[in-house]
Amino acid sequence: MTETLPTAPPTRPRAERHAPERRETGSGNKLVGRSVPRTEDLALLTGTARFIDDIRLPGMLYAKILRSTTAHARLNGVDLSKALQQPGVRGAICGQDLLGKVKPWGDMMQDLLVGDHFPFATDKILYEGQEIAAVVADSKYAALDALEVIEVDYDELPVLVDPEGALDPESPLIQEGINYEFGEGNIFDRYRVRVGDAAAAAADADVVVRQRFVSNRQAGAALDPHGCVASYDSFTGVLTIYSSTQSIFMVRDVLADTLQIPRNRVRVVIPEVGAGFGSKAQMFAHEVIASVLSMQLGRPVHLVLGRGEIFRAGTARTGQVRYAEMYLKRDGEITGYRDYIVHDCGAQSLWGNQVVHIGTNVGMLPYPIPNIHIDADVVHTNTAPAGPLRGFGIPETIWAKEQLVDMAAERLGMDPLDLRARNVVQPESFPYRTPMGQVIDSTSIDRCLQTCAEAIGWREKKARPEPNEGVGLAVSMKYTSCRHPSLDTDLSAVRVRLETDGTVTIFSSDVSHGQGHATFLAQIVSDVLGVGFEKVALAPPDSATAPFGLGTYASRAAAVLGTACRQAAERLREKVVAIAAHVLEANPEDLDTGNDRVHVRGLPDTGLYLENLAGYAAYRTHQLPPGFEPTLEAVATYDTPTEREAPDGSGNFSVTYSGAAHAAHVRVDPDTGRITVIDYAMAHDTGTVINPLIVEGQHQGGFLMGIGMALGEDYVYDDQGRLLNASFKDYQAPYATELPELTKMFEIPAPSVNIPGGQKGAGESGTGPVPAAIGNAVYDATGVRFTALPITPDRMLLALREKERRGLDSFRYPDDMPDFTSPRTPDEWPTPTGSDEGDLLL
Amino acid sequence: MKPFSFHSPRGLGEAVDLLERHGPGAQVIAGGQTLLLAMKERLARPSALVSLAEVADLRGWRYTDSGALEIGAATTYAALAEAELTGVPLRGWHTEIAAVAGDLADRPVRTMGTIGGALCAADPRFDMVTLVVALDAELDTVGAGGGRTIRAAEFFDPVGGTVLRPGEILTTVRFRPQDGFSGVAFEKFRYRVFDAALVSAVCALRLGADGAVADARVTVGAVHPAPVLATTAADRLVGGTPTAVDTVEIGLVAADEVLPAEQATTSVRRYQRELIGVLVGRAIARSHERAHTTTAGS
Repeated sequence: MTETLPTAPPTRPRAERHAPERRETGSGNKLVGRSVPRTEDLALLTGTARFIDDIRLPGMLYAKILRSTTAHARLNGVDLSKALQQPGVRGAICGQDLLGKVKPWGDMMQDLLVGDHFPFATDKILYEGQEIAAVVADSKYAALDALEVIEVDYDELPVLVDPEGALDPESPLIQEGINYEFGEGNIFDRYRVRVGDAAAAAADADVVVRQRFVSNRQAGAALDPHGCVASYDSFTGVLTIYSSTQSIFMVRDVLADTLQIPRNRVRVVIPEVGAGFGSKAQMFAHEVIASVLSMQLGRPVHLVLGRGEIFRAGTARTGQVRYAEMYLKRDGEITGYRDYIVHDCGAQSLWGNQVVHIGTNVGMLPYPIPNIHIDADVVHTNTAPAGPLRGFGIPETIWAKEQLVDMAAERLGMDPLDLRARNVVQPESFPYRTPMGQVIDSTSIDRCLQTCAEAIGWREKKARPEPNEGVGLAVSMKYTSCRHPSLDTDLSAVRVRLETDGTVTIFSSDVSHGQGHATFLAQIVSDVLGVGFEKVALAPPDSATAPFGLGTYASRAAAVLGTACRQAAERLREKVVAIAAHVLEANPEDLDTGNDRVHVRGLPDTGLYLENLAGYAAYRTHQLPPGFEPTLEAVATYDTPTEREAPDGSGNFSVTYSGAAHAAHVRVDPDTGRITVIDYAMAHDTGTVINPLIVEGQHQGGFLMGIGMALGEDYVYDDQGRLLNASFKDYQAPYATELPELTKMFEIPAPSVNIPGGQKGAGESGTGPVPAAIGNAVYDATGVRFTALPITPDRMLLALREKERRGLDSFRYPDDMPDFTSPRTPDEWPTPTGSDEGDLLL
Repeated sequence: MKPFSFHSPRGLGEAVDLLERHGPGAQVIAGGQTLLLAMKERLARPSALVSLAEVADLRGWRYTDSGALEIGAATTYAALAEAELTGVPLRGWHTEIAAVAGDLADRPVRTMGTIGGALCAADPRFDMVTLVVALDAELDTVGAGGGRTIRAAEFFDPVGGTVLRPGEILTTVRFRPQDGFSGVAFEKFRYRVFDAALVSAVCALRLGADGAVADARVTVGAVHPAPVLATTAADRLVGGTPTAVDTVEIGLVAADEVLPAEQATTSVRRYQRELIGVLVGRAIARSHERAHTTTAGS
């Protein structure tokens, strides 16, 4: 279909209606809303912060892991005898040593009967970098020496790298002996959405756009390596593990279950964590290995991974191939979306199948598309384990969907800005439930869209294009918190204690790995309790003392943890006010808090200091009201009012949704193919911003990961499944010098109604739209539509040359390249392997 | 990393003795920006390291009586990059050497890394490797058997590595006097600013009295295990005055010469082939412009 349709009529004018009335966020002297400098930064900037590799315990030994150098093999045997004779070696173990002694894990997240993860390969090697054996020695050098003399006997098997190859029933079987929901095979899960009637929408559509899209594997690339120190106390039977992780209770519960010891005998303590981005949101084999070695020897065991190990065996972004279509009416209304996704989770994956569920569901936003039909085959390949990574599948969805929007705009003869404005969710009233099931409690996405377009100079640049330059837009809405289909919970908890000198300690199990918990939680406590900001401290995450919470991922800290913190602080406030009312013989309603004291409303210089009130509760309990339980602790757990996924794929997984609208201005060098992002504008709705400084930092960091995904980062494998760029030297993560100045950042708050403070998640908004915005800008600049990521200079130049050779105005890379072997046109597209026939849930 | 002994001689003779005494396991360290990374990954396992950092004779540069530029092999990139601030500023086209030294890798590497270290590491993606061949530099070495002088094009083995013998130390890199060339331009493409080159290209021209090109060297690096002289392309320049059209065409000649289409079978190779054309063209244009500026100004 090549007809050009007349320009759509202008969209009907809409009243300004973004959200209910903005709620009161506090008086002028409140800290929430202010750019309080981060409490964390002094230690980080002066190099005194202590990370996992800095931990030294008395008698500590060092462990190192031998990893497979082949991607797929039958493992016949591992001979540790020579390693055990090496000087300084204290122990060595391999998979056979642990069979029947530790329990496999991964069952809960994946809904399997038996877990598919084990500390070492036992009879099969599934990917390059998989754990084969470990040595523990007096020094890491002695351990490395010993690894070199371990003999591994294996027979190579055919290797599967291409995720679409996994659809072939004849492809080499990777996970053997696991009975998945759909039987044994490389397709280990399926996913689908059936909302409305997509077939009818297709039949009624004036325009249908279809394209195959591929998205890349991206590393977490946290500078602080994965690692742990395990220390088993053989007298008490308590295993203490210090770990660089995003979730202490996920580590504790899964580790205790794997080791089959009581959960109150595992203590997880977290030092400073130099970021995770989703790549540390699970328990890893090295945590089990260090624990087992420590339990065997009764000594602390240090096990920190090297960068090559992290690339190969940490988790990377899931890869996707999408066969996506969008249906539109002549006036630009998006009426339907259909997709078939081949979702690559690598050789094993705890979270990978969840990524396609949530990333696709939430990825439909910000358009309330009425008819959606999606299938996914979730597959294993002999590549690095996949998992969550900043955006949790949303950047992958947006990459496809937001390019389809531009393709549709071209066909309709509409400005892509107007087409988006026509479709972004702008309900008559809030809360509004989209056909996909998301409940939008507030949003300013339409204003975000217009703001970023204006900031980039959209209209002028479209009217007067410069050669080799282009502009592109993309919009998304990111979940804030998430009820995962496999994990029916979305809670965080905080305990606060008023100490006997009037200071406050916050206990939380949600690890701060860049989110500034010590700062923003203290801002909340300070405001609620009237205590000085500098008097509030956050205790290090420790499963022995912190209340149970899920951890820090899914952009949930500000909204979920922040709400728990607010509620705990309010409960503590009620207690101190009750004591003060008793002592002052006043009505509690007449009292207020502020200036480190409880005072009579309107008289902030009167009243009783928190220090005195705490003293009564601790040391002068006869001062307390009759029957008052003498404690100055309060705990609150907040579980979001979210829904489980329905059988048709719909549901409201997130407590609220953050808006992001991005506009990119790029220049392409026609001689070298170099793509330069010369300007970039971002407008976000993060609700009520607790700390603008932290939120801006999150957006900048999110953009950084987005531009890396767009322009450079990928796991490059050879056909034998060997990762060719497993170092920061070769892996094309962007340097600061490659980034544009991010001077056009806008925050347009539509405060959340569901969250008492009005805040929304910030951590992942900055990532989602970036690849699509840049992809659309590249097309605008060159006429080359990239359908695969990343958009690298070499691909760009070869595409430009081929386009020129064929004399085409528009060109798809790689679909229109001579050596492209995958389906070029929709009539060649594959069909999902699953079928709805006889499905009782539909 | 594996255990090793570390030696820091004050003089060249001592360094040569140490290398001889410690035998085949001994290795020279001159900055260590390649070697240390390899040692960290256990890819290099020297039993002894002989550092050139304290050998004063090997640092800095000077102009000889004949006007040649001699640079000590243990001179750091950072020192050379800031040559104009020193007592011995570089002249004319020699400043391109400082410009190249100041625009490679990152600041820590430039601070520690040395010219000789890069040449002996002989990674074809390193800019200095391409540059010394392009500018027909001479390399002086010393060893237990005495010293020798090797032309840069012969220093690098076409299959990779150098022709240095065990225990031999590179001491000096000697560039032609000013009249050796009229204009020099180095061009490269790297993905990220701190990456090594994917392709580098140098054009060095000498103009005759009539203003036409009397002599030309076109060199392409990072494509093969050692830099390659594109002699057909260079010959096309001689006797004429390159126009914008010529530079593009000669760039394509160089691409055909260095990486013919039938050898460019992978996408990376095809891209390198495209870049050779572009970068050689740019280098010719820029060197010619400089040659004219220099000639007009002298």
